[in-house]
Amino acid sequence: MQKNALHILLADDDEDDRLFFKDAFEEIKIQTNVNFVHDGMQLMDHLHNEDNKLPDILFLDLNMPKKTGKECLIEIKKTDRLKDVIIAIYSTSSSEEDIEDTFIQGANIYIKKPSDFNTLKKIINEVVTVNWHYHTSGLNRDNFLLRLK
Amino acid sequence: MKWIPNFNSSNSLRVIFVIAVFILLFLSSIAYKHNQDLNESSKLVMHTYEINIQLERLMSAIKDAETGQRGYIITRNARFLTPYIYSRDKVNTSFITLKKLTADNPQQQENLQKLFKLITLRFVSFENCLKYSDPKTYDKRKLDNHMFGGRILMENIRFKVDEMNDIEKTYLKKRLKIYDAEISLSPLFSISLFLVALSFILLAYRQISRDFERLKVFNKRLLISSGLIAESESIGNFSTWQWDLDADKIDYSDNQFRLLGFEPNAFVPSKETLLKFVHPDDKDAVAKSIDGIIENKQVPFIYYKIIRPDFEVRYFKTTGKLVTDQQGSKILLGINFDITDEHLLNIELQERNKELEKSNKELASFNHVASHDLQEPLRKIQTFISRVSDADKEVMSESGKNYITKIESSAKRMRVLIDDLLLFSRTNTTKKEFIKINLNELLDNAESELAEVIEEKRAVIKSNKLPKLSVIPYQIEQLFINLIGNSLKYSRPDIEPEISISSEKVNACDYPEIVDQSVKKFHKITFTDNGMGFDPQFKETIFILFQRLHSKTDYPGTGIGLAICKKIVENHKGHITADSTLGKGSVFTVFLPD
Repeated sequence: MQKNALHILLADDDEDDRLFFKDAFEEIKIQTNVNFVHDGMQLMDHLHNEDNKLPDILFLDLNMPKKTGKECLIEIKKTDRLKDVIIAIYSTSSSEEDIEDTFIQGANIYIKKPSDFNTLKKIINEVVTVNWHYHTSGLNRDNFLLRLK
Repeated sequence: MKWIPNFNSSNSLRVIFVIAVFILLFLSSIAYKHNQDLNESSKLVMHTYEINIQLERLMSAIKDAETGQRGYIITRNARFLTPYIYSRDKVNTSFITLKKLTADNPQQQENLQKLFKLITLRFVSFENCLKYSDPKTYDKRKLDNHMFGGRILMENIRFKVDEMNDIEKTYLKKRLKIYDAEISLSPLFSISLFLVALSFILLAYRQISRDFERLKVFNKRLLISSGLIAESESIGNFSTWQWDLDADKIDYSDNQFRLLGFEPNAFVPSKETLLKFVHPDDKDAVAKSIDGIIENKQVPFIYYKIIRPDFEVRYFKTTGKLVTDQQGSKILLGINFDITDEHLLNIELQERNKELEKSNKELASFNHVASHDLQEPLRKIQTFISRVSDADKEVMSESGKNYITKIESSAKRMRVLIDDLLLFSRTNTTKKEFIKINLNELLDNAESELAEVIEEKRAVIKSNKLPKLSVIPYQIEQLFINLIGNSLKYSRPDIEPEISISSEKVNACDYPEIVDQSVKKFHKITFTDNGMGFDPQFKETIFILFQRLHSKTDYPGTGIGLAICKKIVENHKGHITADSTLGKGSVFTVFLPD
């Protein structure tokens, strides 16, 4: 593990998606530590376990068994230790309702899972290189959903 | 109670009758008095005549005595003396009678006294005449004297009798005059009084017969309206009842019996029967409501079930109101409605509503499936294909590469289909917030959305001023995108596409077959292009979901775009039409209500 590497955590129950994600991170030339959890329960256990380092960015799928992404989001934002973690919603759905809900509940960005591996790489690159401090202070309803230029 | 006709003439009738009766009583008392007086006066006349007769008898008795004496003196025959002897008795008898008759008149008594003295003197003179005419004691001078004296006495007696008769006559006259005065009312006055009474009675009779006529008319109306009520009760499935609280008497209308499952008047309703037919479930509530009637003066609608004798359950709705009638007794008026049909219909509707809600939920979950679960595998297919690197493709056979390309385009098409379908269903299910917005702004947004294609095709879009309308902004924007996008897609390859958009305000009545006439004014927005156009026979079908006029290899599309347009316009209670000349261009016209 590299010390100054970005800590990335992906919570997604889909094995293929985790694979795409892992491959994409391997191909982009940024030092990252990528960890995975398979469902909401596991995610919360991981986060609450103080032995684990908090991730710099949490990629959160909404549709997960045991505990949905939205439930996790609410719980994280309620927990003092966790509430400052950057949360990128990473979902297949692009329904207005989901975008609206997660925006209100304090997620930092909304990513619609792309259907192209190169796009995925671009997205990940964009997300990990963004100045989160700057982005969060200027966050609004329109730039919440990530659109690649 | 307003429906009772006001026969206020009964009071005036009473007054007329009392006056007439008093007049008649007055007249009859006068008649009685008159009769009495007549009787009195005839008695008085009789009295006078009796006195007259007695006086004449007195006179004739004396005359008889005189004649008899005279006969005796001439003939000296004792037979002539008989009247003389009896005359004394006759005179006495008459005298006693006269005394009785004149007992009430002191003047006549006095006269009678004087007459008596004169008669006594006359008889003394008779005695003397007899004495001096007797041959034994004959004295011519004394006889002459006494005869002459008798003559004078006789004159005096006659005079006295005449005087008495006169007095009696005067008295009679006076009394008759008094009686006449006492009957002060003239016959003319009596007759006119009688006529007044008669006319009063006639007036009363006229009033009575008039009231009677009115009563007959009202009675007829009452009969008609009660018949109407009975009829409307049976048609409208309701009934009425009244409960006289003071007399504790309950009346049911005929239909009330029928609603309860009985023949009219099959039983005598009482307080107990009100509850008797109520379903056990509702008995307490109905009983409570009956108890509350008197306090609250009216019953709010109560809903309950009843059980008919044949065990059929019916649903009732009842209301009532406490009124006080003209006699001051409290009457509760009630109406019952048999709402069984409505109730069952309602239940059915509720069930259907539930089903609808359920199917709506299913639709929503289908949306979710389409937006998420269906996209998931598709996205993976696409991602996996994207991961087949060029290096991988190098080692593939030609047909293998071809298959990969086909899979890629099919997956792409699937993605477009799903996205369009979602868009279509969202135009219906998402929140419809109407905001007043300038349509030019939305058109600008649409143009910038299509900027890439517009530039690529070197299209020219001209528009005049669009109105400011209350719309669902993102939907109208979508409408503009779809319509302009459509024109761009089906442009003619040989010329640069030109789309002109114009707007004008029109009256609904000018387009009776197209737009809803309940809205007066519409904004007619026309999109005219110089594209390839279509056969006008398809101008209706192009708005139907999945209807396409071209093969998907020539013009890729899902056949959803115009269906979405139609749906959006319908969401705004507007209308969309299309017309075209093949090879020249198409015109899409959108009507949006003002």
